[in-house]
Amino acid sequence: MTEALRVSQELRCSPDHAFDVWTTRLSTWWPKGHSASGDPDTVVTLEPRRGGRIFERTSDGREIDWGEVTVWDPPRRLAYTWHIAWDVAQATDVELTFVDLGDGRTRLDVVHTGWDRFGEESDRFRTANSGGWGALLPAFAAAAEG
Amino acid sequence: MTPPKGDPFEALGDPNRRAIVERLSAGPTSVGALAEALPISRPAVSRHLRLLKEAGLVVEEPEGTRRVYRLHEDGVAAVQEYLTRVWGDAIARFTLTAENVQPKSAKTPTR
Repeated sequence: MTEALRVSQELRCSPDHAFDVWTTRLSTWWPKGHSASGDPDTVVTLEPRRGGRIFERTSDGREIDWGEVTVWDPPRRLAYTWHIAWDVAQATDVELTFVDLGDGRTRLDVVHTGWDRFGEESDRFRTANSGGWGALLPAFAAAAEG
Repeated sequence: MTPPKGDPFEALGDPNRRAIVERLSAGPTSVGALAEALPISRPAVSRHLRLLKEAGLVVEEPEGTRRVYRLHEDGVAAVQEYLTRVWGDAIARFTLTAENVQPKSAKTPTR
């Protein structure tokens, strides 16, 4: 089985606020152009409930599903399936845990699994994800602390 | 298939090359047409195309008297991989947003 991808990020805010920003303000921070459509004006929405859809609505009104909420437990846990631009049959699983560190700090733990659904390509996909996380984490840390 | 000598992720790490890949996803295009559509010179477009070719993302082929570039089928899988990298950028932007926007409600935290 292809190993889970685990990433953590410390945040200088409360778990409640972090959970709120992740879920209700998704469209304000999700990177532009990182979408199935590539439309820079696409709007990303997460429906705040178990079974809720995560989807984009393009500027011409097209809706494209990216995943579905599987665990809705604010402000500690959120999980969803994730297929964004690929086949829904190969949806992966993303689980986010917001750990209260006290003192107005939170640690976000991300566990991304389900790579085996890509069959022979699973390692390639996982490595791609890992590369993305790994390359950028030092940059966020610098930006966040700066 | 021989593995490409270039790294597709490195190739996609550049915004101009991502813009080229986006253009090519609409169909085969010539160097001239790409240079017209992008804010970079024709030699720069050619350089980017060479890197994308080495990374296995695009192929070059003749169309009548000119040469056009199109996305390589295996390259499409690589583009999907690129999309999975959204997480890296996403976490960065999420962190900056979460740390720099005010909570919606002004109520005192119950902790």
